[in-house]
Amino acid sequence: MNAVAWAIVALGIGVVVVRRRSIAVGIVTAQAVLLAVAALGKGTSLDSIVAAAALTLRGVVLATLLLLLVRRTRETRPVRAGVAPLARAAAAVALALALIWLMPPIGLDSQAAERATLTLVAIGLVTAATRRATLFQVLGIVLVENGLALAALSLPGTSSLAIEIGVAVDLLLIALVAGVFHERIFAEFGAGDSAVLRSLRDS
Amino acid sequence: MTARDWLATAVLVAPLVGIAAAAVTPDHLLTRVETAIAVLAAVAAGVMAVVALAQPGERQLGRWLVLDPAGGLLLGVIGVIGLSSALVSSQYLAGRRGSLFRPRWADRVYWATLFAFWVVLLAVPLAGNLGAAWLAIEATTAASALLVGFSGRARALEAGWKYLILTSLGLGVALLGILVLEAAAGGGGIETLTWRSLPHASLDHQTAVVAYVLLLAGLAAKIGWAPVHNWLPDAHSEAPAPVSALLSAALLPAVLLVAWRSEQALAPTIGARTAGGVLVGFGLVSLAVAVPFLWRSQAWKRLLAYSSLEHMGVIALGIGFGGTLALAGVAVHIVGHALAKALGFYAATPLLAHDPRAAGHSVGGVGRTEPKLGASLGISLGALAGLPPSPLFVSEVLIVAGGFQVGRPWAAGAAAILLALGFLGLAHALVDTVIGRPRGRDRHPALGLRAVTTLTAVTVPLLLALTAAALWLPDSGIVHGLVRGLG
Repeated sequence: MNAVAWAIVALGIGVVVVRRRSIAVGIVTAQAVLLAVAALGKGTSLDSIVAAAALTLRGVVLATLLLLLVRRTRETRPVRAGVAPLARAAAAVALALALIWLMPPIGLDSQAAERATLTLVAIGLVTAATRRATLFQVLGIVLVENGLALAALSLPGTSSLAIEIGVAVDLLLIALVAGVFHERIFAEFGAGDSAVLRSLRDS
Repeated sequence: MTARDWLATAVLVAPLVGIAAAAVTPDHLLTRVETAIAVLAAVAAGVMAVVALAQPGERQLGRWLVLDPAGGLLLGVIGVIGLSSALVSSQYLAGRRGSLFRPRWADRVYWATLFAFWVVLLAVPLAGNLGAAWLAIEATTAASALLVGFSGRARALEAGWKYLILTSLGLGVALLGILVLEAAAGGGGIETLTWRSLPHASLDHQTAVVAYVLLLAGLAAKIGWAPVHNWLPDAHSEAPAPVSALLSAALLPAVLLVAWRSEQALAPTIGARTAGGVLVGFGLVSLAVAVPFLWRSQAWKRLLAYSSLEHMGVIALGIGFGGTLALAGVAVHIVGHALAKALGFYAATPLLAHDPRAAGHSVGGVGRTEPKLGASLGISLGALAGLPPSPLFVSEVLIVAGGFQVGRPWAAGAAAILLALGFLGLAHALVDTVIGRPRGRDRHPALGLRAVTTLTAVTVPLLLALTAAALWLPDSGIVHGLVRGLG
């Protein structure tokens, strides 16, 4: 479980630094597969199998949706992030270390799972805050949710399958709505770049 | 299933029928059918609210369903605002130009999304556990973001995108808080997170404090509490007027109810003083951030949005103070704010038709050029400012008095000063909007004014009745039910 958790974190760092949207989508999909492996690693109970199936399905549907968006909104050149890749990675690591330092033990199965969860949340927040490309901002939300899925899998005792499935469905809905916005922003401004969305100001 | 279970099912099924009807109803019947279904949905929500408020001592605390006075109050508000938003939607759709969706489908998507937003809003106060409440809140984001960006204009896209990303990340933080809470309780599945179990859970004090802070910080992004309120003025000002009303009058207090229940549920572990203190902190910061914007010359809907920030701060203060006086103030404030704010947003549709500059600039002298519209704007703004006999005047007095009652004199004193400053800002805007110097010369007929005039005629007696009820409320069974909470 610990090795899987840190592998998911390593993949998350990849999303912070890569330039191509399709590669980043591939990385978060790989995370979803690893989360499904982690769910099966908890045992072969019906709950574990259903959780693994839900995570796999969520990953596949998300990957299909996001890759479709990438294909329909081809950028003539990649949207430049406002912050350099190494600086983004450093910011993610710094925020992760701060969260780990601030948070008391929260009672997950292992300390590694707790640290991996907080690191993934930090990576997601930094990705959403420092990437200008709209699709990367959606991936920031997915990274946070992947971290939370890891935490849910590392809860002691039983967790609520209904809530976990609900969270997966909600994430898909959010991604779907974000996809509608992304396409329209691309059509309106010629790029999926959140930097063009700066017209609303107080008079 | 009990009668209340059946009623709760009806409350949630009626808007779902509205979604289905949007897909299959012929074009020429669409508005009528959707309006009829909205009436049924509002009646179901209203009956449920009456049941909860008429028998405040008989709470239902199930695993998936909860019904208590606070939930009843919100169900009533969401039912009324949902219905009135549906009633004025036809005016908005008749005058809309362009959409995020293909023209042929735009009206159907609007109705389906409006009912989807409404049903998940109704689910929030009914949710029997923190996990289900979170799911409903997250679902409101998906539905309402589409509605915020519905016009498809560049500014609406910006507002919708900002709303979607910021609130989703915020709710991610809130979910982390829920998971910390569940882990601290040693797992146990959904039962651990029910409102009936949380007050009795055996939790480590420090971990519970961290979970509570994460939960409230995350929910704050959705409630629009400062300093995580950045999406609020943009989304409220760019959404269609009926949706702005739902966002401000129903969504924000519905999410605030979850923060309130979390405070009640965790107070036995972390201490009522600490739990309330976090809310008081959010309340004071929100008031302090809102006041300077209420003094600035703002576009109408943006001014109402900053007023929402102020009023969510006031409600947070009341909940944080607790006690009979403050919670009576909270109950009156939630209802009074909903009625006055919704009226203000509905009046934006004829206002924009009358003076298109109002989309981006402050308006002046509307009472001189279109007296009926000026009256609607004035009544809304006067009530929101807390101008007597507005119920918000009474509720703010109750909340400040409640602060002194529970031994938080400094916070109550600071709130009183900030409220007075906010009142002066809104009073200036009120005078300027209604009887000030008209700005711009291109005034047009105020399309859709008739519906707003009718709503104003209904709202005024309701506001006055609420003011009268506010004087009796502190000693009522409803407020004792609110004080007792879910514990």
